[in-house]
Amino acid sequence: MNNNEVLLKIENLRVWFEIRKRMLSQPLYVRAVDGINFELKKGESISLVGESGSGKTTLGKTIIRLYEPTSGKIYFDGIDITNLNSKDLKWYRKETGLIQQDPFGALPSHFTVYRILEEPLLIHKIGTVEERRKRIFKALEDVKLTPVEDFSSKYPHMLSGGQMQRVVIARSLIMRPKLIIADEPVSMLDASVRIEILDLLKELQDKFHMSLIYITHDLATVRMFSNWIFIMYAGNLVERALTNELLNNPLHPYTKALLSAIPDPDPENRKKLREVPPGEPPNLINPPPGCRFAPRCQYAMEICNTEPQEIEVQSKHWVKCWLFNK
Amino acid sequence: MNEVILKLKNFSLSYKTRKGILEAVKNADFELKKGETLAIVGESGCGKSSLARGIMRLFPRNLEKVSGEIYLNGEEILSLDEESYRKNIRWSKISMVFQGAMNSLNPVLKVVYQVAEPLMVHMKIDKETAFKKAKEILSLVGISESFSERYPFELSGGMKQRVVIAMALITNPQIVILDEPTSALDIITQANIMNLLKLLKKEFNLSYIFITHDIATASELADRVAVMYAGEIVEISPAESFYYKPAHGYTMMLLNSVPTLKIDKKLRSIPGTPPSLISPPKACRFHPRCQFVMDICKIKEPPMFKKDEEHFAKCYIGESHE
Ligand SMILES: Nc1ncnc2c1ncn2[C@@H]1O[C@H](COP(=O)(O)OP(=O)(O)OP(=O)(O)O)[C@@H](O)[C@H]1O
Ligand SMILES: Nc1ncnc2c1ncn2[C@@H]1O[C@H](COP(=O)(O)OP(=O)(O)OP(=O)(O)O)[C@@H](O)[C@H]1O
Ligand SMILES: [Mg+2]
Ligand SMILES: [Mg+2]
Repeated sequence: MNNNEVLLKIENLRVWFEIRKRMLSQPLYVRAVDGINFELKKGESISLVGESGSGKTTLGKTIIRLYEPTSGKIYFDGIDITNLNSKDLKWYRKETGLIQQDPFGALPSHFTVYRILEEPLLIHKIGTVEERRKRIFKALEDVKLTPVEDFSSKYPHMLSGGQMQRVVIARSLIMRPKLIIADEPVSMLDASVRIEILDLLKELQDKFHMSLIYITHDLATVRMFSNWIFIMYAGNLVERALTNELLNNPLHPYTKALLSAIPDPDPENRKKLREVPPGEPPNLINPPPGCRFAPRCQYAMEICNTEPQEIEVQSKHWVKCWLFNK
Repeated sequence: MNEVILKLKNFSLSYKTRKGILEAVKNADFELKKGETLAIVGESGCGKSSLARGIMRLFPRNLEKVSGEIYLNGEEILSLDEESYRKNIRWSKISMVFQGAMNSLNPVLKVVYQVAEPLMVHMKIDKETAFKKAKEILSLVGISESFSERYPFELSGGMKQRVVIAMALITNPQIVILDEPTSALDIITQANIMNLLKLLKKEFNLSYIFITHDIATASELADRVAVMYAGEIVEISPAESFYYKPAHGYTMMLLNSVPTLKIDKKLRSIPGTPPSLISPPKACRFHPRCQFVMDICKIKEPPMFKKDEEHFAKCYIGESHE
């Protein structure tokens, strides 16, 4: 297979949620994803990092077409999947997998763990009873839910937070999709299991030549893991670069603030307050007219009231900020 | 700061499962002082949330057995009847921010209503007073009047977490149990919430039990750290000792698996698999995975050794033994 083939191409994607305060009142729009462009090659991975509520989950769910795009295009393997009919959607669902963010809401409460993992195999009519059993047990072992027998007959409410999260991971991997969106897949796991699960994802990714979008706020693990880092703020990608380049040479003021906020384990931390950019992220119903980070940015200038374009500052390093837009 | 507010003695908790009895917490013993934060760290599934919910006496239907003693301000509360516990202790003295709570806010209720609810439901306070109090507490956690009239989907993740913290504070508790309060948030928002928790603690002289799997985040609040493994507290010590002089084999290996961005070290995960809590390993429960394992670890359960001032660990490393 050609390594340089593009698997996913996103063009000017917008996803706006319509909300109404009251019935019949004027609709308002939450601009959760607001003009995003990028490409993902086969076998590559992207870490998508950004503030809570910046639209990462919305972007992920739209890519696998759980949400309808408001405008823009999505191409998968060269095929325009922006508007699929329900038959093609079934095909597309098989090619893609989502590791859902909140495991507490992601698992059907009336199914056992075994049945939860069997479900996708049944839907796509895969294997005999015995083959399915093997595959399910292997999947549980892979995510370290061992001894497997202790877990397979449990219902979700009998699992700890991190155990639920691993069932969600096992379920999405069991079909061996070409593209995985892993939405905070390890947020509830301790450092040790976290490394193992990420290693597993990486191993499967190499073995099956999967592409991966890894949504996370854990910047400390992205280095061992992904090719690219994309930084998202208030519905926009504000910076994109190869992993090491981004970590060593962050350009956007938001990226810098984010990197300096990473806590190091140090008992002195408790004696002082942390320095953080002032203010809250903007309301996406009514975002600031220009750069969306400007109201919190220490470098904000007059011109930041108009929207900066994304520019390629160096080869493969893009940033959406007036400081670099000469 | 030396007054003991909460004390657990031999607290154990088990569940019925199809495969047998699962002992989620075994003989937990610790004290929490007034104004102090005790962090509880440990791998996924080791019993942290079970311990926390156990202190709140919120048990699942398949509870097998709960035993031991819990003292609040010197009074034993595990043997209290449910009626008096509900009236006098839960929420009013000890409250909790549940793991994943910010995602279970009710989407069709205004924020101020959800914050006022504990007062109305648990403490039977009238709606008007409860709403007034809710607005006060919301502004204290940094949510302005106009936002209190909004619905959860209109709030950012950080603001939702503030709401959930407000819900735990509105009843004026002395102890707040925080179960993974920031694991779903980005690091800037996390830092913001940590700042808030620090300020609240000072303002109300709160005691926290802070549950997290995140060693770096634990250092933001912890005065002392308790390490749990397979249902047991295996080490408890002042935060400085935990980070710089860990005494238990598990703690040492755990600290080696923690990534930091600033230091580029080789991360080592702990080999082997998490133990079954239905039939846990004999003697030291960590011995099958421990890189420092000795013969005695496989045959005799280690007692809690005193390693240093206020520093205890259930581990033979550095001890003389036959
Ligand atoms: N169904 C919906 N209707 C209306 N607004 C929504 C809906 N889903 C999400 N939003 C809003 O869209 C914005 C982006 O949400 P999204 O969940 O994509 O953020 P995120 O980056 O994944 O955040 P987090 O890190 O907290 O998971 C938020 O302001 C959110 O409140
Ligand atoms: N109601 C239940 N019935 C049976 N087993 C349960 C029940 N609740 C929890 N368990 C099991 O008890 C053990 C401890 O669970 P607990 O939720 O306390 O772990 P935790 O330390 O909070 O983990 P995490 O960090 O993943 O949240 C786990 O092995 C879990 O599978
Ligand atoms: Mg999300
Ligand atoms: Mg838990």
